[in-house]
Amino acid sequence: MGTNLHFRLSDEYEPGQIDQLLTGKFAFLVEPPTVEKWTFYDTFDWRLFNRSLVLRHAGREIGLDQLSDGEALNCLTCDLAPEFFWDLPESPLRERLEPIIKMRTLLPLADVHTQSMTYRILNADEKTVARLVTTEVRTAGEESEPVLVTYLSLRPVRGYPKYSRKLAKRLGRVGTETPMLEDLYFSALERADRKPGSYSGKLNLQLKSKKRSDASAKVILRYLFEVMKANEAGIKADIDTEYLHDYRIAIRRTRSALSQIRNVFPTEVTEHFKQEFRTLGQLTNQLRDLDVYLLSEGEFQARLPEAMREDIVPLFDYLRLLRNHALEEVIEGLLSSEYARAMNEWEEFLNEPVPKEPDAANATMPIVELARKMIYKRYRRVIRDGDYILAHTKDELLHALRIECKKLRYLMEFFASLFPRKKMARLIKQLKKLQDNLGNFNDLSVQQEYLMHMAEELPLDDPRSRKALVATGYLVEKLGYRQKEVKANFADTFAEFASPANQKSFRQLFATKRKAGR
Amino acid sequence: MTILALYSNKGGVGKTAAAVNLAYLAAQSGLVTLICDLDPQASATFYFRVKPKLKPKARGLVRAHKPIDRSIKGTDYENLDLLPADFTHRNLDITFNRQRSRKQQLKEILNPFREEYDLIILDTPPTINILAENIFNAADDLLVPLIPSTLSIQTHAQLLSFLKKNKYRSNGVYSFFSFVDGRKKMHRELATWARGNFNGVLRSVIPYLSHVEQMGIYREPVPAFAPASRASKAYQELWEEIHQEILNERK
Repeated sequence: MGTNLHFRLSDEYEPGQIDQLLTGKFAFLVEPPTVEKWTFYDTFDWRLFNRSLVLRHAGREIGLDQLSDGEALNCLTCDLAPEFFWDLPESPLRERLEPIIKMRTLLPLADVHTQSMTYRILNADEKTVARLVTTEVRTAGEESEPVLVTYLSLRPVRGYPKYSRKLAKRLGRVGTETPMLEDLYFSALERADRKPGSYSGKLNLQLKSKKRSDASAKVILRYLFEVMKANEAGIKADIDTEYLHDYRIAIRRTRSALSQIRNVFPTEVTEHFKQEFRTLGQLTNQLRDLDVYLLSEGEFQARLPEAMREDIVPLFDYLRLLRNHALEEVIEGLLSSEYARAMNEWEEFLNEPVPKEPDAANATMPIVELARKMIYKRYRRVIRDGDYILAHTKDELLHALRIECKKLRYLMEFFASLFPRKKMARLIKQLKKLQDNLGNFNDLSVQQEYLMHMAEELPLDDPRSRKALVATGYLVEKLGYRQKEVKANFADTFAEFASPANQKSFRQLFATKRKAGR
Repeated sequence: MTILALYSNKGGVGKTAAAVNLAYLAAQSGLVTLICDLDPQASATFYFRVKPKLKPKARGLVRAHKPIDRSIKGTDYENLDLLPADFTHRNLDITFNRQRSRKQQLKEILNPFREEYDLIILDTPPTINILAENIFNAADDLLVPLIPSTLSIQTHAQLLSFLKKNKYRSNGVYSFFSFVDGRKKMHRELATWARGNFNGVLRSVIPYLSHVEQMGIYREPVPAFAPASRASKAYQELWEEIHQEILNERK
């Protein structure tokens, strides 16, 4: 089937001249014009754009298109502006969006107003053999507004390629072929002052191997500071749960960087800010916990027999209530003068130039050397501890290993840009598998305690509470079984991570030369 | 993807009109639809203003292992394509007879389109030989128009017993009344009798209406040239029932 071709009408032509372009050459019929407002959507962290997708609400239709070639993937009729994927009716569009945007809100990014006319090109039987659509684009709906650009879209009809070829030639004389959707998307976002891909929760850092360690540490910390700043408004407006999540990860990474990238700043400075960020992290602990439980409500319910699924709802209603309070506390904290002071102080420190002759022992060392040393040391500790656990399985040891792995993961992410990208990605992926196993084990153990504890807080004079308590007991038992399964998988998961091939990769990338040659 | 065949071993019962109007309504509802005109009389092709391939050398449906997608034509409507009637269809029976696995030919020919279309509607000529069996094998569901006459009812009974005898599943056989005159007592009685004695008789009926005959003048589906007419509403109702009862059930 022929694909649609789009042309951008040259400035010297008026859309009204299209008639002349066709008259005498083609028989045609003009359909009444349609006026639409198009709104482009994406999540705060550009999940659609990163996959080269565009979601637009145009007229009464929500459509997902491929950004590069404008290919329509899915669409559905819907008057409401989309917010979460679960607001959409069951449909292929929703199925495609769900794994991409997950719990994130779709934000309206930019609008354009279009007025379209369709010319149906007819053959001798008055059969439509091609369509020509002119689209005038304006920033507002009124016809008095100036037209920013006019597109001519040729939509071939299957089985009549000759007409489309002839038309394409004529259109090429009055305009230039353009990927229309891409053109519209980028120009509309630019007018709305939005930069696609400008925010990501991931650490996209580019460090220089030879740069001093203290200056490099500041590059990392400044990036994390920006992430915190970028998410504050979304937390306060309670748009979705992931603003807080990204914000907290930035805090954890900051704390990890401060304590792991050793001796690059004066000790008292490091200690001071470590304490500050510990306090900042505590402010949001409760809210994040509640978010996690509420996000998994459906999963928890699915673990129960069908007859019990409704019974547990009072527990989650109670958590929802707690969440409202927790959110208020967080907002209050973010608005407090104490918070503003701490952030200002931190920003000032980040902006200070590094001293010419620092006291800190590692401050002037090239960052790549320090990175190698730290990563390799942490890696060997993970292997040593894991081996020990294989011999003596104790739950507390697994917990400690989980923390070690997390520290190693953060280090590898901070310094990923200093090492070969593919190798790093592979090693991080393998580390992640081990972390998932340890993380699941830990989550399951925390969940059992937390859920039981919360269920006990339900008012006992309400008969619904008793049912909820029974259901929670059942759920906790199920989680306990699951935890045993996860634990049983540890040995294999660890063995894979500690495989000789992997150890060799770590040694080659991170062991310092002196050590290797010894 | 569903393949729905408008089938009857009697002629002139409103197969093509139903196929054309249902295909149009399906496409309007958002299903990417292909209508295959298997009847050498090419009526469905004519309604969509497409020229049938009447030269014997044309690329045929059954000249076979070649792709037929190059024969497919877009219609005047979004989401709706047509496989035009082909002169070689006249000899479909003979061609199928010569080939191995001769009763599965049509099914295999349509297989490549399962990905591309949500719904394929077959408009078939009246037949009960090898082509018919190809249709039974290819279609997920048969939709049989019945005219309210004793003969038509008898023919339908024959069809059901043929399907049973030859081990074709008999669920997936649906019928609806066409050319109904609500004022005639006999029409009402026959419809009631059929509902009591056959499975799969749909509630919707297509009345005898001039708008259906005018399709040949306008060369458009009824809901396209007379959207508010009784005929259009009747097809709309029939389509909704098919969508609910047959297509949604299959999912």
